[in-house]
Amino acid sequence: MMFPFIKEAMTNLFSRPSTENFPAQPVAAKPNYRGRISYDPEKCVNCGMCVKVCSPAAITREYKDVEGGQEITYHFDLTSCTFCGTCQDFCEEKAIVLTDDYLMFAEDPKDLIVSGTRFKEKVKGKLSCGEGCVYCGLCARNCPQNAITVDRATKTWTVDHEKCVQCGKCIEKCPKKVLSFAEPAPEGVILGPDCIYCGLCARKCPVGAITVDRPSKSWTIDREKCVQCGLCVKNCPKKTLSMGPIE
Amino acid sequence: MIKKAIANSMQRSPWLYHVNTGSCNGCDIELVACLTPRYDVERFGFKLAGSPRHADIVVVSGPVTSQSKERLLRTLEQVPKPYCIVTLGSCPQSGNVFKGSYSVEAPIEKFCHVDVAIAGCTVKPEAVVAGLYRATEILKAKREAMNK
Repeated sequence: MMFPFIKEAMTNLFSRPSTENFPAQPVAAKPNYRGRISYDPEKCVNCGMCVKVCSPAAITREYKDVEGGQEITYHFDLTSCTFCGTCQDFCEEKAIVLTDDYLMFAEDPKDLIVSGTRFKEKVKGKLSCGEGCVYCGLCARNCPQNAITVDRATKTWTVDHEKCVQCGKCIEKCPKKVLSFAEPAPEGVILGPDCIYCGLCARKCPVGAITVDRPSKSWTIDREKCVQCGLCVKNCPKKTLSMGPIE
Repeated sequence: MIKKAIANSMQRSPWLYHVNTGSCNGCDIELVACLTPRYDVERFGFKLAGSPRHADIVVVSGPVTSQSKERLLRTLEQVPKPYCIVTLGSCPQSGNVFKGSYSVEAPIEKFCHVDVAIAGCTVKPEAVVAGLYRATEILKAKREAMNK
């Protein structure tokens, strides 16, 4: 044969071009492609593992005090991200997902920051009256729930904690500014009586705060390390762990 | 009329100049992949230029190391105005995992204005094609503003 390539040339002449007609026909990313991060603040429990494991420090957390609580904002800087997916792997609540959206470009790099804000309600303690009360009764008169009773004659000030809705009206009206909400008792994980020392909580804890020793039947928690993510409570097979005020 | 024809053909053939400022080569490979028949950015008139003096769009990859910073600035000075700067990947924008290193000068915004930032580590060729196409639109607007 004189022209061994002629067959190849003819097939190529009539075959379709290998060029992807990209902007006209969008191409789907391959399976398991790690693209733009999506963050669901509703699922997030603010354990902070993603911030800890992020190697280029692309994830930042911001706290802002607002009325009645705190706003917790997570920023995922895609101009800093390596798209390694470690945050997604460590997120037990699956709040972080690396989607298959690969078209990430912007004229302003700020457009490439993915943010999500979550509101965390501040827990208030019980209402109490301090020193300097003149028993004027203004608090009782302004209480919408009639939870406060003031007796000027006997100089007593009492509050029904069952009725109190912690609206703070009495604190506003108090002329002496002696009313206040007590600091709430610190919350944490509490061990109930049904523990079988299986150690699932210790294995699930993202920060390794729990140590369980089966032979000696001991369950200890490092309150300094605990981020109160609630994973241990969720994974306890005996449902004996709970969140609550600790002494 | 000749001026108009020149302007039109300039718009249709934006030439690229690629500066590697200490990149790991990942983004560079993806940029070169865009020139292959599969993605073929030459459909839009893009062409790799050998000299910054021929370039319309400067593509920067890498976290701008101290060694390459001087070279990058010298290169940018040689590019005829107006031109666009496109960054590839996370590195030029923030330094990526190298941020905070003594030899890394990122972000590139300290030295020049970035027109289009393409994110990814590495960038996907489709994102490069889309980002470069956006750069041509910016370039057109810049030219029109300059000719006024």
